Amino acid sequence: MTINVEELKKIIIKELFLEDITPGDIDDNAPLFGGGLGLDSLDAVELVVIIQKHFNVEIKDMDEGRVAFESIKSLASFIEGHTKS
Amino acid sequence: MNRGAPVAISGAGCLSASGESLMQNMKTLFQGKRNPDRPEAFSSSHPVTYPVFEIRYPLPGINDGQKKSLSRTAQLGLAAAAEAIKDAGLDPDAMSGLRVGVCMGTTVGSTMNDEQFYRDFKNMLEPDMFAISRYLNSNPSSVISKEYSLKGPCQTIVNACSSGTDAIGIGASWIRSGICDIVIAGGADELSRISYNGFISLMITDPDPCRPFDRNRKGLNLGEGAGVVVLESEYSLKRRNKKAKAFVLGYGSASDGYHLTAPHPEGRGLKRAIADAFVESGKKAGDIGFINAHGTATPENDMAEARVLKEIFNGIPFLSTKGYTGHTLGAAGAIEAVYTVASLEAGRIPASAGFSEIDPEAGISPVTENMGITGKTALSESLAFGGQNAVLILSTEGI
Amino acid sequence: MKIFINGTGIAGGFGCGSNALLNRLRTGATCEPSSQDGYYPAFYADISSLYDFVPKKALRRIDHFSQLALTGAYLALNDAGQDSFDKMATGLILCSGYGSAKTTFSFLDSIIDSGDNCASPTLFSNSVHNAAAGHISMMLGIEGPCLTISQFEMSVSSGLLSAIQWLCEERVGQVLFGAVDEYFDVLGYCYKRWYGSNGNISMSPLAAEIQSAVPGEGAAFFLLSRDKSANCYGAVTSVNTGIVKDLKDNLSEDSFYILNADGHIECDRYYSEIIPEGSLVSCYTPYYGSIPVGSAFDMVIAVISLREGRIFPAPVTVRRPDNYRFQGQDCTLNQENISCVKTGIKGEFSIITLSHTG
Repeated sequence: MTINVEELKKIIIKELFLEDITPGDIDDNAPLFGGGLGLDSLDAVELVVIIQKHFNVEIKDMDEGRVAFESIKSLASFIEGHTKS
Repeated sequence: MNRGAPVAISGAGCLSASGESLMQNMKTLFQGKRNPDRPEAFSSSHPVTYPVFEIRYPLPGINDGQKKSLSRTAQLGLAAAAEAIKDAGLDPDAMSGLRVGVCMGTTVGSTMNDEQFYRDFKNMLEPDMFAISRYLNSNPSSVISKEYSLKGPCQTIVNACSSGTDAIGIGASWIRSGICDIVIAGGADELSRISYNGFISLMITDPDPCRPFDRNRKGLNLGEGAGVVVLESEYSLKRRNKKAKAFVLGYGSASDGYHLTAPHPEGRGLKRAIADAFVESGKKAGDIGFINAHGTATPENDMAEARVLKEIFNGIPFLSTKGYTGHTLGAAGAIEAVYTVASLEAGRIPASAGFSEIDPEAGISPVTENMGITGKTALSESLAFGGQNAVLILSTEGI
Repeated sequence: MKIFINGTGIAGGFGCGSNALLNRLRTGATCEPSSQDGYYPAFYADISSLYDFVPKKALRRIDHFSQLALTGAYLALNDAGQDSFDKMATGLILCSGYGSAKTTFSFLDSIIDSGDNCASPTLFSNSVHNAAAGHISMMLGIEGPCLTISQFEMSVSSGLLSAIQWLCEERVGQVLFGAVDEYFDVLGYCYKRWYGSNGNISMSPLAAEIQSAVPGEGAAFFLLSRDKSANCYGAVTSVNTGIVKDLKDNLSEDSFYILNADGHIECDRYYSEIIPEGSLVSCYTPYYGSIPVGSAFDMVIAVISLREGRIFPAPVTVRRPDNYRFQGQDCTLNQENISCVKTGIKGEFSIITLSHTG
């Protein structure tokens, strides 16, 4: 299953209430955390739940999370790699 | 912050997974026993089960009517209060003629969160309104006040994990100011499926028994229980010809103003709370015989706390008792204050359960064996969600 | 010891800010509740002033309850002229009857709708009772002690006791003291189940035989200090609490009493047991609704009355029982003290007395 990166961005924007951000503002390769989105550790655990809810993919701990959340691109790959076909 | 007079503690009571009385709790702690297990009272569909410290014995002194009409948290508070009142040698009937206040801390106990009611409401099944009536009848302080027909002020503090510590500190201020002659103060909280799922969602729970301050700690285990002390004025003690067991010498409280769920990494608020407690008590770090730390076993809490302990109390023994009780949320600070008093009375502290390897980044470790203590004064601290920090300085000096 | 009120901020169904409330008091313009959830009409709070202080972006994770609290807090500090203040010497006390119940149920929604492993950590963190106080302390940088209190109708009086304690102990130089309650759909549902659908949406407090309470929401905040500022409204001179049936001392007939009677028959019936016959009274709950922390709203009206030197007439829907005196047209406040009285369903009472600074 290929993840539609645009849709993934829209889900994140909606679920994290990033009202003034558009998908175009999020660079596919830029770090999700420590970057311009202003996300913190609470957003990180919320993102884990968002991925579980929308894609039924579990991020077991924040070691896995750190890899998955490196960028939108890495998150999309993570989801694709962990999606049961 | 002004210097304050010591406030007597004339009785104490406690129940947790480690025992249904304070004496049983301390016996369990000194035996180094702990029994976290999967929850029995509720289930969760999480793929991983996280152990909890659940009370599985009938709550002492709680009758069938109370079991039905009161929340479990209110029942826990009542049970611990009854033990404390008995320990103080207070005649419940005589209390109604005195100005007795109640100050209890809780988290779950003040939350309208009956899941079955809400599910039925969502499904338009016209649920029985009893769940709401029970919630309205179960304010932990009001329940105790009503049980003993008390006439003094009532305050339920909902400061998350520092509620129990705050309640005892606030109760002590009522004695000092002369508002009350006696205050029943402490904290109570029940295990709840809501909190269970909530803490798991924050990824700060350990799928194994928790390991406060350990290098490999992964997070907390939840628990339930209650701790209560009877605070009393000198005048009231003299009238009753009773003596204090211990004293509240000081209370400090301060905010990190940093993050909703993580403590300030340098323990900014905790340091201020400790400083205020020192001023009120007239004590300093060197007077402290041991510290009952908050020690939840989350990576962030224990690191922030360790930094402060190392900076201010380097070399002074400390322990976390959450390895024996789990994190009892609103009850924690009160249970830990009661444990601190009991340890001072016994002249020894139990080993800090769950610890085996020092965290090199923290650079300090809790006591790993039961240990005799010669000091008469100790400190108990709590760090809460919302960045609130509370500290009590307790002592058996002069007893 | 007198505790001075140096600033106040309020938001509720009447509007946002003390001027909005003062306008109602002066004109007697009624407030209309609205039905938004199909369960019960309610007085929904206006928090529009919050965005003058905080950009919406910064509020993205902050729930409605905390936004109510922030509105009150910012308005009070602004009213006190404290754009900057000593953050280390300021404490925070927040009182609430039901807490952030809406968020608690939203958290339950996340579990019920999507499963235990989809429980929202953001909603959970916000549902913890002291989250609002946490948000205020973070946004304003308050580093003093912080307390959140939950005591239903007695929350405000209980919290005030602690504020007074802190100031007496010089634990802090000032206390940002606030009271918040929000409307939520389960509350409306409870009203509907217990009191039936309310076609008559007019609150008629003190009408002994009519259950007419309409729920409200809002925030009322004060800046309290041992020191009187140039903006000082008045002083808190005493806080008395107890059980109605145990009340021994008769209350003074010389005070002006603001009764927080709100149309709940079971609570309203106690006022006649504690307020002496012939006392000068008023009641303003139809401007903001039935709220557990309603005492704090009456305190705002009391300090406005002290400043204006006037007693504002009660809204027309408030019953005027014969055993009390009500002012028909607003008139000069001659009394030294204004006492804000609230009774609870179990017969508890609180009397918060305010006076001129003298």
